Amino acid sequence: MRWLSSFLLLVLLGVAQALSSSGRKLLVVLEEAAEKERFGGFFGDLEARGFHLTFESPKSTSLSLLKHGERAYDHLLLLPAKSKGLGPALTANQLLEFMKKEGNILLTLSGDHATPTAVQSLLLELDIHLPSDRTSLVVDHFNYDGESAKDKHDVLLVPYPKASRPDVKNYFSGEGVIAVPRAVGQTLGNESPLLAPILRAPSTAYSYNPKDEADIVEDPFAVGEQLNLVSTLQAHNSARLTILGSAEMLQDAWFEAMASLNGKAVKTANRDFVAKVSEWAFKETGVLRVGKMVHYLNEGTGKKSNSSAALPQNNPKIYRIKNDVSFQVPISEYSHTHWTPFTPPPSDSVQLEFSMLSPFHRLPLSPLSQTANSTLYGVSFKTPDQHGIFNFRINYRRPFLTNVEVKEQVTVRHFAHDEWPRSWQISGAWVWIAGIWVTVAGWVGFVAIWLYSSPAVGAAKKTQ
Amino acid sequence: MRLLHSFIPSLLLSSAYVVSAASSWSFEDATLTVQSKGAGVGAGAKEKLSPSTPLSKPVALGSTDSLKMLLTTTNGKKARQPHQAFLTLTDPTTGLEESFVLSVKESGRGKVDLTQKDLPIQFLTSSKPIVASIVIGSFGSSTPYKSKVFDLSVTRDPNVPLAIPAKPIRYAVEPEIHHIFRTDPRSPPKIITLVFAAVVFGALPALFGVWATLGANVNHLSKALSNAPVSHALFFGSILAMEGIFFMYYTSWNLFQTLPAAAVVASVAFLSGSRALSEVQERRLAGLR
Repeated sequence: MRWLSSFLLLVLLGVAQALSSSGRKLLVVLEEAAEKERFGGFFGDLEARGFHLTFESPKSTSLSLLKHGERAYDHLLLLPAKSKGLGPALTANQLLEFMKKEGNILLTLSGDHATPTAVQSLLLELDIHLPSDRTSLVVDHFNYDGESAKDKHDVLLVPYPKASRPDVKNYFSGEGVIAVPRAVGQTLGNESPLLAPILRAPSTAYSYNPKDEADIVEDPFAVGEQLNLVSTLQAHNSARLTILGSAEMLQDAWFEAMASLNGKAVKTANRDFVAKVSEWAFKETGVLRVGKMVHYLNEGTGKKSNSSAALPQNNPKIYRIKNDVSFQVPISEYSHTHWTPFTPPPSDSVQLEFSMLSPFHRLPLSPLSQTANSTLYGVSFKTPDQHGIFNFRINYRRPFLTNVEVKEQVTVRHFAHDEWPRSWQISGAWVWIAGIWVTVAGWVGFVAIWLYSSPAVGAAKKTQ
Repeated sequence: MRLLHSFIPSLLLSSAYVVSAASSWSFEDATLTVQSKGAGVGAGAKEKLSPSTPLSKPVALGSTDSLKMLLTTTNGKKARQPHQAFLTLTDPTTGLEESFVLSVKESGRGKVDLTQKDLPIQFLTSSKPIVASIVIGSFGSSTPYKSKVFDLSVTRDPNVPLAIPAKPIRYAVEPEIHHIFRTDPRSPPKIITLVFAAVVFGALPALFGVWATLGANVNHLSKALSNAPVSHALFFGSILAMEGIFFMYYTSWNLFQTLPAAAVVASVAFLSGSRALSEVQERRLAGLR
């Protein structure tokens, strides 16, 4: 009995633990097993959130991201290695293949070691640029830790990031300062909408190469807020790549370190921030799910009901032009442990497109009701006066949220011959209708006179 | 003391530094020259910059002008070379920043040249003056310097078109689209319709009136009915019934209801009509028509 109760307890504990929405198998690539202890707190936090950690060295022969053509792990955490390359199992191509199978990668860089070429070429492919000398790090003479980097100024103390845009949810907000020791700054290409920065460098920061002998920085890789300390890419299949500029951020030493910013003693909030970044990276936050789409003819009351079904049929395959149609869809967002109702930021909205080649309608969906784990969104509209094959389509893509693209096809037909208004309902036709009936009456009168008329008295012989 | 005073704004800006014995970065002998392309050397406006107070008037930079800034960076009143010496431009509305590196020699003499070609496109189209600040900092314990020194107002030649690159795609809410329906067919005002319908209806009494004045009458109705009562009643009745069938077809019947009814009525009209018309012929032959 005791084993049963303890087993039940274990099961309950497992339920109570946070679980990623996309699996719990996490591979940690770590060069030296001794390094593991430095990250003990972070790994402990990950295990407490329900991840199964597997540690491998990049040189290990058994290391393989893919197995039988499918990914062998759900997530990958790459810690910086001293060696120049990452070995044959972690080439840029392999990493991309892993992302194509919807694997998430948390990639860490470090100013202490040269960035491996595999990482550099992977990032270059994704339009994320690292300093070309591969040893540069970010310094800031204004916001540095006075305790540990009194002279070198390479431990940045930065506040929590604000939402990058007012219409984007901030999954990384908090109170306090974050220590970013010896970070490799990244710049993001301007063209790709898949890239989004999490943490930018302060405006006075710049990137420089400590091996450079010059006494003055002459041609910095990037300066100010164009330098990103933590940046992300979310692919079209919603696989996430998070680039953490400083692997040291994850170390226990910086989790709640005492630091001093401009003479004031502060405590770093790395533990919380790193948890938020890894939660996002491993799809514990910012994951959307769309339920079953429902659409129906919404003729309202007062219309003549010539069909036997009083209740409108759900998801019919065909509508007529100028029909009043209602559309509803439940949307949920995964938050740490469970699905919650999804609410976009106030200046954002989920939009429904009714499209044939191009959208004829693009309407914001408004929340109608909420259940424990979803919000029901809906909108009513009139089908356009164009017949054809249309799609109900939701294409909701936002930074930090998984991509939603769903559609359902319906036919929109023209008016049937007996659905047009009758001629007497058109006031302009009254003159013509009157003409017809006057002709009818005149004909009947003519027939009567022709049949029954007696000869006219006087000159005229016949009436015709 | 004056030195300390002059630092207060910069200290406030860079969020309360501890004013200690540690030396602070600053600059001196700063001059700013804006020179037009055609003008000779020294023709441009020359301004002296002070590390404590920004210029009161914005500095105008035309499309052919070049801005030149010369200064000496100092650390605790002595000329020194810092590791970081930037001229940072900030768009006050969008917060966009761009830094230009000052080339500072070991003697602390630094300079930077700036023309409109160096500026990002957002600065050229900014409506408000751009805030220009100087950032000087280096390793060690010296207090870094960052303060606004002047406003830069970019004046552009409106005749020269600016190649503004297309905005990159960003995932955000897209503009709403509401389908614009074709306008419904319209009828003329009802009063006009009614007037003309009344005119059309008026034609019927007018026709009967004209016929009446020409001597039309139905005086032989009793005669015809007494000669061939059944065929006359059926013939005239079938003509009325045919019109009734047309009316039903117009309002509610379909073709398959209409055709049999029309066939029945037509055959009745044909059979009774031949009798009725024979009776009419008899009257004609009797000279009664």
